Amino acid sequence: MSFILVQVIVGGLLLGAVYALFSSGLTLVWGMMNIVNFAHGDFVMLGMYAAFVVFTLFGVGPLAGVPFATLLLAALGVVVYFALIRGVMKGPMLAQILGTFGLALLLRYSVFWWFGADFLSLPQNIVGGTLAFWGLRIEAARLLAGIVALVVTLGLHLLLTRTALGSKMLAVAEDATAAQLMGIRPDTMQAIAWAIAAGATGLAGALIATFFYIVPTVGETLGIVAFVTVSLGGFGSVPGALVAGLLIGVIESLSGYLIGAVYKDIVVYALFLSFLWFRPQGLMGKT
Amino acid sequence: MIFGPLLKLACAAAATVALAGAAHAEDKVVKIGAVFPMTGNAASAGIHAKYAIEVALDIINNAHPELAALPLAKNAGLAGLGGAKVEVVFADNQGSPATGQNQALRLITEEKVVALTGAYQSGITLTTSAIAERYGIPYVNGESVASNLTERGFKWFFRTTPIATDFVRVYYDFLTDMKAQGAKIDNVALVHDNTEYGTSVANTIAAGFKDKGLNITDISYVSNATDVQSQVLQLKEKKPDVVLMISYTSDAILFAKTMQAQDYKPPLLLADDAGYSDPAFLKAVGKSSQGVFNRSAWSVGPPGSPSAIVADMYKKKSGDEMDDTAGREMEGFFVLVDAIDRAGSTEPAKIQAALKATDLKPEQLMMGYRGVKFDDKGQNILASAVIIQLQDDGETYLTVWPKPNAVKAPVLPYKGWQ
Amino acid sequence: MMRRLIWPALLLAILLAYPFVFATPFQQRLGALVLLYAIAASSWNIVGGYAGQVSVGHVVFFGCGAYAAMGAYAHFGLSPLIGLPAGIVAAVAIAAIVGVPTLRLSGHYFSMATIAVAELIRLVVTNTDYLGAAVGLSGPTVPRNVFDLSFISALPYYYLFLIVLAITLLMTWWMTHSRMGFYLRAIKDSERAARSLGAPAARIKLYAFMLSAALTSVAGALYAMMFGFVDPDSGLGLLISVKILIMAALGGAGLLFGPLVGAAILVPLEEISNSLLGGKGAGLTFVVYGAIIVLIARFQPGGILTLIKRLLERRAKPRAKEEQRLATGASHAP
Repeated sequence: MSFILVQVIVGGLLLGAVYALFSSGLTLVWGMMNIVNFAHGDFVMLGMYAAFVVFTLFGVGPLAGVPFATLLLAALGVVVYFALIRGVMKGPMLAQILGTFGLALLLRYSVFWWFGADFLSLPQNIVGGTLAFWGLRIEAARLLAGIVALVVTLGLHLLLTRTALGSKMLAVAEDATAAQLMGIRPDTMQAIAWAIAAGATGLAGALIATFFYIVPTVGETLGIVAFVTVSLGGFGSVPGALVAGLLIGVIESLSGYLIGAVYKDIVVYALFLSFLWFRPQGLMGKT
Repeated sequence: MIFGPLLKLACAAAATVALAGAAHAEDKVVKIGAVFPMTGNAASAGIHAKYAIEVALDIINNAHPELAALPLAKNAGLAGLGGAKVEVVFADNQGSPATGQNQALRLITEEKVVALTGAYQSGITLTTSAIAERYGIPYVNGESVASNLTERGFKWFFRTTPIATDFVRVYYDFLTDMKAQGAKIDNVALVHDNTEYGTSVANTIAAGFKDKGLNITDISYVSNATDVQSQVLQLKEKKPDVVLMISYTSDAILFAKTMQAQDYKPPLLLADDAGYSDPAFLKAVGKSSQGVFNRSAWSVGPPGSPSAIVADMYKKKSGDEMDDTAGREMEGFFVLVDAIDRAGSTEPAKIQAALKATDLKPEQLMMGYRGVKFDDKGQNILASAVIIQLQDDGETYLTVWPKPNAVKAPVLPYKGWQ
Repeated sequence: MMRRLIWPALLLAILLAYPFVFATPFQQRLGALVLLYAIAASSWNIVGGYAGQVSVGHVVFFGCGAYAAMGAYAHFGLSPLIGLPAGIVAAVAIAAIVGVPTLRLSGHYFSMATIAVAELIRLVVTNTDYLGAAVGLSGPTVPRNVFDLSFISALPYYYLFLIVLAITLLMTWWMTHSRMGFYLRAIKDSERAARSLGAPAARIKLYAFMLSAALTSVAGALYAMMFGFVDPDSGLGLLISVKILIMAALGGAGLLFGPLVGAAILVPLEEISNSLLGGKGAGLTFVVYGAIIVLIARFQPGGILTLIKRLLERRAKPRAKEEQRLATGASHAP
């Protein structure tokens, strides 16, 4: 019995790592620019479709799909920044919420119109098989996604904290005017932030495409997961998103197994709400 | 002098031409409304329903002597209404009961349809048929399975599809037969989502099976799940003799993949239609789900049989294989139009009477029901299903039970992937 | 002063006459729907527009009303109207529980909390048999008396909703002209400044939230009575929150008639484009919807009424403009 429990936890960790990855994009943007991106889930969805398209056109698996999705989404991030975000950033929050919500609808239903409503999926032999070791069985696709997610999240964190680019971005986040006075261009930094955030999200999407179903409406559910992860981890904290993602993955998995799957989301939301009550800055966010 | 009679003749000729023209312009078109989900989560089902009905329209409105067994196929148009053609106005319910109801109202009052069909999701069929009931418009539903739909004391609502109570009977009889062949069936795990479909069907089956002395384990999950590992692990732990899946497509695919990943093969895997019948499921995980049983009222007969011809027409129109749900919708539509034809009129009351008098024999249907006859609640008491199985690495289901309908014998235990 | 009453009076006349000018059952029902959504959006406006707290999970209050109304019938055989007060109480309680901790923090926390609460309650309801679980609750299929509020024609609904909308708008108007309205404007302008001057910001925002919740639950109850059915998707789904938010914003959040204008545009647009395009399975309706919303957000977040106001101001002569500014200055912030 305890064996199965370990399996449950490991499964939760792997899923959580992926949650962490596509949430780190959201937390980056949120922390840097105080922007609530309601279209975030749909960015993930686009990443999934991008991987699907690459597979259908060229017959190659994630090794080609992932970079393509990353670049495509990064480009989209830049476009969205200049076309929409820059204009609504300084406005009331209502405009931001409206803007990104409208974007979500636009993306979701354009994809629906183009690809139709059918559930698509990539065949199993792309990243095939299950690895069995120490009595555990782990799907190779999930393991790969989990590991890449960890690596990229750590990479993002290092980028922000250890590189010159990162400190410029953080400077703009802290005080855009002061940063400008020091010769940093806020516009460029923010566009780069959006590119990185969107790219990471696209990457995550392409990774999960190997074991998730692909459908235009998947952005809705994944978007909410991202919000909960980011709020739990703390707005603006990439390591926070990682910890929160892993935590949520494990809690979901455990409550699904112990209490019953229908209650697992309730447990996660309840946890999230109690954090809002007692520790709104999340696990690792700045207040 | 000859002008007088000539003028009269000319007038008479003109009048005749005018009348003939008018009569020609009055060639009736029978308008029927169809409410389905064209957008939203269930859009795939709605779009396939539309294809199914369009194929039916082709069969009804054009002469198809090769389908002579089906009523309305032989001649072009409706014989009972002087060759009138049938036209369908589709409306999108957007997955919302309110929108479904609004669209039904629009179809009734603006498009002036004489009858309605739809709406796939039981909650939407509920509200849509309520409006039809208020306005006294016949409503024939071919696919929604919630039991409360025929418990409202409605006079204008008719349903052709088998419902959960029918399935309990079918499943139990099938399992008993398998027991006679050596399978164990005493412990049944019901795996279902928490939508209205999943919960109502699961509850009905659980109650029915418990009455017959079987042990039930209930494993529920959230529909559109991102991860079902916990559920599969629970199954692995509990080791039931029979696993009965009540899932929509995406979850069905996810379960199939997760079961393979966790190396779990139940001795007998039985699916309750829905996701498992969806061509998308077969495309994605059909090869690794060999031996799964499913219920269906649809199976393709030998070439030249009505079902084979219909399947062909459907494939040409939609690009997909005909599935059970689309078939049930098509059958519901046929029953409705047949009633209109027998009524010989588009008056709602006459159509209602014709529906009540419906008595179709199995050979007049494209679906495998035992016939169509409505009780006073509007439910088809002859609705039934057969059990089909995925065999021989094929990607289509074959009928395996009951014996009279079977094309092949059932294969146990569940093979899964190889 | 009298001049300013002309527009509302004209509006009232149009609204009263609408069902007789557009008299087909479908058009009347459409009108009733516009008013219903206008009630919900105007209620949202109180906390979202005037108080500047963007509630994205507002549907939870809508659901309180809808479920209370249907529950009264489904479980006790009573008229759904009896459930109305229960729905209001539930809504206000939830507003208090959510509002007290989050309204003292910055905006995002509040928005996130509203989504989380709405989804949480939707999940709980989906798994609670007493509340119908996923199947939902139905109202009376055949009306037993006039209090069942189950009519075939949309006309009674239309006028009932008109009355409720009028009450909602009157309450909003009264609030903006009261001390509470004065505080809300100050808080919206700069919360920090308002606090330093002694305004009890968190408490004021909470009251606005609770009032908004109560009125939204009324809208929910009315909706359930008209459609005779509620389930987790139609009564607690996030899409409803989005719709009322967008209607208020499109028309003009923080303006009295903004939500009504927004509803009057979007509800018919959706129904009509669905009727025109829907059957063809396009989903283009939502693409267009999304595009409109993005444009509004980017170029005119004050909504259509603000746009109209600006156009009118530019056309007016400078002296008349001065006069107008003085006259309208005290009423509401943009």
